[in-house]
Amino acid sequence: MIKFFKNFYQNFREYIVLIILLLISLSFLPLNKNQSIQKIKTFAFGNFAALNSIISDIQNIFSNEDEINELRKLNAELMLQLNKLREHGIENNELRELINYTDSSAVNLFPARIISTLVTKIQGNFVINKGESDSIKVGMPVVDNYGLAGIVVNTSGQFSLVRSLQNMNFKVAVRNQLTNVDGILSWDGNNLIIANIPTTHEMNIGDRIVSSDFSTLFPPSIPIGVVQKKEETISGVLSNIVVKPFVDLSKLKNVLVMDVIPSNQIDSLEMNLLIK
Amino acid sequence: MLQLTLVPLLSVDFIAPDLIIIFLVYLTLKNGQLYGTFFGFIFGFLFDLISGGLLGSSMFAKTLSAFVAGFFYKDKKIEDSLNVFTLSVVVLISSFINAVFYSLLGANQIPLSFVSVIFIHGLLPAVYTTLISFPFSILGIGRKFL
Repeated sequence: MIKFFKNFYQNFREYIVLIILLLISLSFLPLNKNQSIQKIKTFAFGNFAALNSIISDIQNIFSNEDEINELRKLNAELMLQLNKLREHGIENNELRELINYTDSSAVNLFPARIISTLVTKIQGNFVINKGESDSIKVGMPVVDNYGLAGIVVNTSGQFSLVRSLQNMNFKVAVRNQLTNVDGILSWDGNNLIIANIPTTHEMNIGDRIVSSDFSTLFPPSIPIGVVQKKEETISGVLSNIVVKPFVDLSKLKNVLVMDVIPSNQIDSLEMNLLIK
Repeated sequence: MLQLTLVPLLSVDFIAPDLIIIFLVYLTLKNGQLYGTFFGFIFGFLFDLISGGLLGSSMFAKTLSAFVAGFFYKDKKIEDSLNVFTLSVVVLISSFINAVFYSLLGANQIPLSFVSVIFIHGLLPAVYTTLISFPFSILGIGRKFL
């Protein structure tokens, strides 16, 4: 019997090892939300990011970083302000009072630099050079001077991991700024899609899409993109809206983290969207 | 580390070459299937940890692709398996398998279409990785280092 197993192992050891390793890999997949795994990942990416920042510093040696950061911060503040002003033009007088109230609460922005990027059409992430020591917390939105870029999903002392718009686990409640139609925006591997919008709802090409007032992960009215095309589903009752993001993630180097964190009364459903 | 810092500069429409796969193929063709499979597992594990991706997805994809690359290992003719043509073919096959499984396991929320998985998420990165591997193969950089 032992000899049989010995022979079996000798003949098929590559396959046996492969199956064991693949099973171990698969067993890790459901453990991604586990606290211990999260801690290991935080430790790993934190240390790795420290090495990466050195390479990134060398790449940026010839650019005037401080001045660029200041200008970008100013640009982003202006972008957010401009978007609010656009809203003022659309909404009626009653809502304007409410908007004015919201405007009085200015959001603090932390400039940060991207030091490494996971280039993939499935799990888009990037690491920024600001972390817990810079008051960055999980759940803070990340923008550039054009619009929303992602959300902080993990932080170490000096660095943070940001889930970008081009990540299949990224979902955000959005609104058509002109027609006030709400939906959930997600990445399908190729495009940003607002799925299952009734065809009777007004969603026109060129309409601006912003974060919704229903979103508890993001403050309302952060610009996200414009409607690029409408794809009707087979039934013809619903349509999928393709959104072209304002942010060009392929050229993104400097970002701003918004000092906004989800409230304690956060919608449990949307928290689940972040965790996944 | 290069994969996450320098490779993004080479990306075209979020399609990027996978330097880890090129290195893994060299290691596998030089040392054999079992050795390569182990290294695929380790590289995948480290990549998942530092990239912030879904832990297990790259581990699975790289283990499997190194195992497949191992079928091209020639015990007594290592130099033969490290020629430009063989290397390119093996890199193409391995990176295709890696890209397809990485996409499938990473996209656990939204189902991807078959065409999208094969062409956009599989074949395009695989072809790009193969093109990037040419200089390494032609100059014999792998042979000198390993």
